[in-house]
Amino acid sequence: MELKELWQSALAEIELQVSRPNFITWFKSSHLLDKKDGAALIAVPNNFAKEWIENKYYKTILAAIRNLDDTTKKLEFIVHTNPDTAPKIAEPKSRKLPEPDQPIFSEMRVDPETNLNPRYSLTSFVVGSSNEMAYAAAQAIIKEIGKKYNPLFIHGGVGVGKTHLIQAIGNEIKNLYQNKVRVRYVPSEKFTNEVIWAMRNKRMETIKEKYRLIDVLIIDDIQFIGGKTRTEEEFFHTFNALYENNKQIIISSDRPPKFIPTLEERLRSRFEGGMICDIGYPDYELRVAVLKSKLADKKVNLSPEVVDLIANRVKKNLRELEGVLNRIIFYQQTKNQEITAKLAEQIVGESAQEPMQQKTSPVQVIKAVVDFYEVSSNDLVGRCRKKELVEPRQVAMYLLRDLLDMSFPYIGEKLGKRDHTTAIYAFEKISQEVNKNPGLNNKIMLIKEKLTKS
Amino acid sequence: MKLIILRSNLKDGLAAVERAVSDSGNLQILKNVLFRTFNNKIKICATNLDLAITKITSAKIIEEGGITIPFGTFYNLVNNSDNERILVETDKNNLIFKTDNYSAKIQGLGVEEFPIIPKIENEENFIELDSAVLKEAIYKVLNAAHISEIRPEISGVLMDFQMTMIKFVATDAFRLAHKTLNNNQFKTNFNYGFKAIIPLRTISEVVKIFPENKQIKICVDQNQIFFKNEDTEVISRLIDGEYPDYEQIIPKSMDSEIVINKEQLVNAVKLASNFSGQTNDIKLKIDPGKKVLEIYSANQYLGENNYLIPIKLKGTEFEEIAFNWHYFLDGLKVIDHENLVFGVNKSNKPSIIRPPEDGSYFYILMPIKTV
Repeated sequence: MELKELWQSALAEIELQVSRPNFITWFKSSHLLDKKDGAALIAVPNNFAKEWIENKYYKTILAAIRNLDDTTKKLEFIVHTNPDTAPKIAEPKSRKLPEPDQPIFSEMRVDPETNLNPRYSLTSFVVGSSNEMAYAAAQAIIKEIGKKYNPLFIHGGVGVGKTHLIQAIGNEIKNLYQNKVRVRYVPSEKFTNEVIWAMRNKRMETIKEKYRLIDVLIIDDIQFIGGKTRTEEEFFHTFNALYENNKQIIISSDRPPKFIPTLEERLRSRFEGGMICDIGYPDYELRVAVLKSKLADKKVNLSPEVVDLIANRVKKNLRELEGVLNRIIFYQQTKNQEITAKLAEQIVGESAQEPMQQKTSPVQVIKAVVDFYEVSSNDLVGRCRKKELVEPRQVAMYLLRDLLDMSFPYIGEKLGKRDHTTAIYAFEKISQEVNKNPGLNNKIMLIKEKLTKS
Repeated sequence: MKLIILRSNLKDGLAAVERAVSDSGNLQILKNVLFRTFNNKIKICATNLDLAITKITSAKIIEEGGITIPFGTFYNLVNNSDNERILVETDKNNLIFKTDNYSAKIQGLGVEEFPIIPKIENEENFIELDSAVLKEAIYKVLNAAHISEIRPEISGVLMDFQMTMIKFVATDAFRLAHKTLNNNQFKTNFNYGFKAIIPLRTISEVVKIFPENKQIKICVDQNQIFFKNEDTEVISRLIDGEYPDYEQIIPKSMDSEIVINKEQLVNAVKLASNFSGQTNDIKLKIDPGKKVLEIYSANQYLGENNYLIPIKLKGTEFEEIAFNWHYFLDGLKVIDHENLVFGVNKSNKPSIIRPPEDGSYFYILMPIKTV
């Protein structure tokens, strides 16, 4: 770099003219930031250095620079702390060492610069058919930041690994490009809080300053900014500023952009302009693979039949899967007892009970489906076989079976006195479709979400 | 320069700037103290290039001027001198120190060699508050701060100024202390908010050297903070970095909350600490009757003990929970009510200690894992 070389040569000359302690104190961690219109902008580590250099060494520096480059007419100084070169101040040693068993606040494990949790890495991300597309897109982005897929929009249900993947992208980029690429991970809740702070304190410019210097912006759970007008607006401007400068933007959400009802149109169309990837519910193989990788991490052994049992019982949420696994491991360690399939069954049974089961009634399920598809309940149970009615009907049957574990004859009966084979056919069809068709998967997820909330 | 000064004035002045004198470093001049006449008074000033302290003290000025001299030597002379009146005089780069029966000549350096003390860029906007209020707020959080080389951004106290309130926050990742001052406790003409991380050393000096019951003015710019009253000025760099998102750490709700007598709890912790192991852990649990908190510890070489305190419980009872007793006590000590509220969340989530019916102060602490 030209600036760097120029400053190095100038420093070499200055070094000859001032005493060693003075040189170390005042010049060591300075650097040349910029040079234009005959003015050289020099960054110094603190205000003391600024005052001193400006007043005592102005001529010395100007002469040294002009010897090398006579277009420079004047010098300007700015205080700019660079953590890598900042002088270490000898502070009194701390009075006590942190105890090894003392846990820290989980929020403090993150890297303050990027806000990323180093725990998430691409190597620990287990790839299966449900997430391979998202994974491939992630890898493409890491190779060509901001060029290939921008923005990358990843959506999927709760606990399928969205946060893991997007944080892993951030960590990977950080490690790969060292500190040359500025990465920042922000849950949308935090972004909202920052906007609120800035609004209340009349400092909107702090958000602009902070976010527009980023090379890779990762926003988690974007659906939460929907409906928060000022936050959306600020995010929109940030998004545009970054996008126009070819900075990479990665967004996660629990549903595709068009299903976030409160999201403003202009934001939605921008999200859809990039790459949209879906992470589906993990299939059996992926669940087993995740369990095995967790076991390897924790250096614990469990018999294959227990692993199989957990993978079969916890089907959707990988976080829940990990929770059940932790419980089993905890049991094994505290009771010092070999985990048999029977014991595992018992533990899984305790924790994996879906709270929905006790609360939801068939009527509620049907109502949720009717509301979602905006059809009448008469049509739903009726005989009409229009396409707009078949899907809701089949989804209703699927949900009654999936959530409430009702018998097929009963389901048939409930939905217009149909034969139980119709119900079986509907359940199987939807079960297969869910894995293939992300749109349908999402609809079902939204209906379930509604049910849990009501 | 020539002047006569009372020993106690000189001593107080030097004591105030003492901690800003550099104890290491390349530049010899930073071990010196600047001593010069100023508006018929004396200005004493020291800096380590991180912070600078200036103290103005009265003296009878006979001739204007100034000098810098090694702090240690000068301070020792003043401390050990047994005369109330001291004559100070410069002779080129020497300082002559004279009492009735003693005289010394200290070699110094010219005033122009001494670093120029930076000015704050924005002196029009300020926060003004009673020094006792500031000190009390800082003392409440100071214990939780910790110098960390890995995480420079927590090596200080966060001042989160939000126009209608000031929040002071300190954390070392194990615990977090939080104190709010409301707008009836300070005056300000700032019309925007800011967040400033004040280095631990600076803020500890500020609470020490500013006298009680006087107003302090605080000014802030991009990278400096400035504290002043009529005779003392402290300017310091701010820590550059982003303070952890402390609001995320504050628990939103509590599974159980107990009201307990503070003195008794402090006493219990001190007693239990005698039997705690190398991890410094003491344990707490609520007895089945839900009316008594048990504080206990055991050590296989020393023995065991337990202490019972009556409590009022709100929420569910909690099973055994363990804390590092030093950290626990730090949170208890600064509570100045008769009773305190102690809140616990299940499964290794942070606990909270706070005074009852006063939301301005609280202390959050991570329990030790008890598996």
